Amino acid sequence: MSDRFIRWCTSAAGITILLSILLAVYATLDRGPYILVNTAITGGMLALVAIGLALLLGVMNVASFVHGEYFMMGTLVAYYVFTPLQNYLNANPSQTLAMVAPIIAILAAAATGAGAGALTEIMVFAPMRRRSRENWVMNSFLLTVGLAVLLINGHLLIFGADFKGIVRYWSGAPVTIMDVFISRDRLFAFLISILVILVFWIFMRTTRIGRAIRAVSQDETGALMVGINLSGILIFTMALGCALAAVAGASLLFLYPSYPTVGLEALYMAWFIVILVGLGNIIGALIGGFMVALLKVVTVEYIGSGWDFVVPTALIILVLIFKPSGIFGSGVRGVLDK
Amino acid sequence: MNRFDKVLKQLNLTPAGLLGLIILAVLPFVPPFNQEYLIRWLIAAAFIAAGAITFDFTAGYINIVNFGYYAILGFGGYTSAILAVNLGVPPWIGILCGALTAGLLGFLTGLLTLRLRGIFAAVMAWFVGLALMGLATKMVWLTRGPLGLRTPRLFDTASNVPYYFLILGLMLVSYIICSRIVSSRIGIAFKAIGQNMDAARTSGINPTFYRIINFTLSCTLAGLLGGFYAHYYGILTPDIMHTAKTVEVLAVAYIGGRGSLWGGAAVAFPFILAMELVRSGLSNLPGLNLIIYGLLLIFVMIYYPGGFAKFFDAHIRHPKNRALNYFINGAPAKT
Repeated sequence: MSDRFIRWCTSAAGITILLSILLAVYATLDRGPYILVNTAITGGMLALVAIGLALLLGVMNVASFVHGEYFMMGTLVAYYVFTPLQNYLNANPSQTLAMVAPIIAILAAAATGAGAGALTEIMVFAPMRRRSRENWVMNSFLLTVGLAVLLINGHLLIFGADFKGIVRYWSGAPVTIMDVFISRDRLFAFLISILVILVFWIFMRTTRIGRAIRAVSQDETGALMVGINLSGILIFTMALGCALAAVAGASLLFLYPSYPTVGLEALYMAWFIVILVGLGNIIGALIGGFMVALLKVVTVEYIGSGWDFVVPTALIILVLIFKPSGIFGSGVRGVLDK
Repeated sequence: MNRFDKVLKQLNLTPAGLLGLIILAVLPFVPPFNQEYLIRWLIAAAFIAAGAITFDFTAGYINIVNFGYYAILGFGGYTSAILAVNLGVPPWIGILCGALTAGLLGFLTGLLTLRLRGIFAAVMAWFVGLALMGLATKMVWLTRGPLGLRTPRLFDTASNVPYYFLILGLMLVSYIICSRIVSSRIGIAFKAIGQNMDAARTSGINPTFYRIINFTLSCTLAGLLGGFYAHYYGILTPDIMHTAKTVEVLAVAYIGGRGSLWGGAAVAFPFILAMELVRSGLSNLPGLNLIIYGLLLIFVMIYYPGGFAKFFDAHIRHPKNRALNYFINGAPAKT
């Protein structure tokens, strides 16, 4: 047992995780527990986006550049659902509705994200898959680039470039945990991310569709042979991945107001995580989400805001020099390069 | 084969290509193109065209999308601008220094992405680009950050015509260098690596060497373009390193046709002019031109992944008429 533990500690995964924990402990002791709190909140949301991206990579073999745009879509829908509700609430206050309104907004965003994802698969990827599978990874990647340009500028054209944000979802005094004041929005954002990840996890493990998705990600032909409805599963996967991003966007509306390029940062971060942990690795994406969040928070704390782009990138590049398949290196990379 | 044909062959040009270049060269003197704003558009188009050629040199041959292309281009531009502003180095020398440093950066990026393949190398190059852009934004003491760095201009005139000829020349030089290389043995090695690296390695091609060569050269030329950009617009902001810029060149290069070099350049001129027309004509509808960009890229990827060059090769390349054939393909090689 201890032998295995030591071996794990000296593996790339062990070293990075232990170093992250050390860093977290040091920063917390040095600057205060709010570092941990911030990490947890950012990490949960980053993990949501990254899990969606990893899902698309693993199941559909699509290296999506458009994933951030579903995040953007989530913020947009949540804004347009929540603002009227808020106005209605201001006119006639109600305790229950005040609690439920953000949930409605987030659910609406999730539904829109899922719909948009399914539509993307049906209208764009399915025709492309039918036409040719040659050079699929590169072509689908370029396709998503085009889609991202389209969606960003569609937002600009229809909704304008101004910031569409809200002050807060849940009103009320901030909660105190470990002597840190946490606004209710942040707390709920964290709880939502944990809840969604848990539900997602149980769904993938126990339901028929979840098993079918995992089967497709392991072997597409084999999945077809045992009678899995492949096109249905692909549509469902895309919808699921995009809904996760939209939920993240909607829950973070109070931090990131909706504007055309709001999704880019989420996209960068999701890619950081996915590349860092190795592709198509969903558990890895979860852990990586918190690791990258920690890096970001610590960088902002010690070096200054704005550098949270440079330092994590440099570190990730360093990690990849020594371990190009990612710290939890899976075999998926080879398949992707077929 | 007479001497004229020989020279054309040496430069990898066809009579049709030469005619196109001549048309581009006289364009700024022909109304309505002799107005300054139209010349500015032509310069933008030629800039994108040159970018598409050097971008395609990497993307179309070794099949790695250099997603940090504009970051490296901007790095060259910044080097040149900072040398000119802080040390008073004349822009011409600065541009060369910028090209060299960008080439060095390309060399390092090539080394860095070596162990990754295909799309992952692209994402890695993208991270490098993002880090560079972050640096350019935050190192305010050196680059003045988002405020913009004012740079001396290359020519002492208000006219845009000399700049136009310079960028046209740069475009031609990049094309000739790139096409000479891809039509040599090195080019065949590039293609082999791009199509199947394991097979290429089995055939005795050293992927490390060729990938680094490719990256270095492509980035050197990008740095040259960056220097032009810096000293033409007279102001440099970190925005030049933005991913959106790379996407623009990428779209043109892929709509033009991957692995052709000339496709992107041929498409860039009508395309960029049309885009500028849409943008300035329908200024109350912001983003419309980029929507067309996105739609076109999606459409090309689904229905015609080979782009314009592939279409040209399949339908126009081999006409029955001999004179026309000469015009499009140049003199036939001696058999």
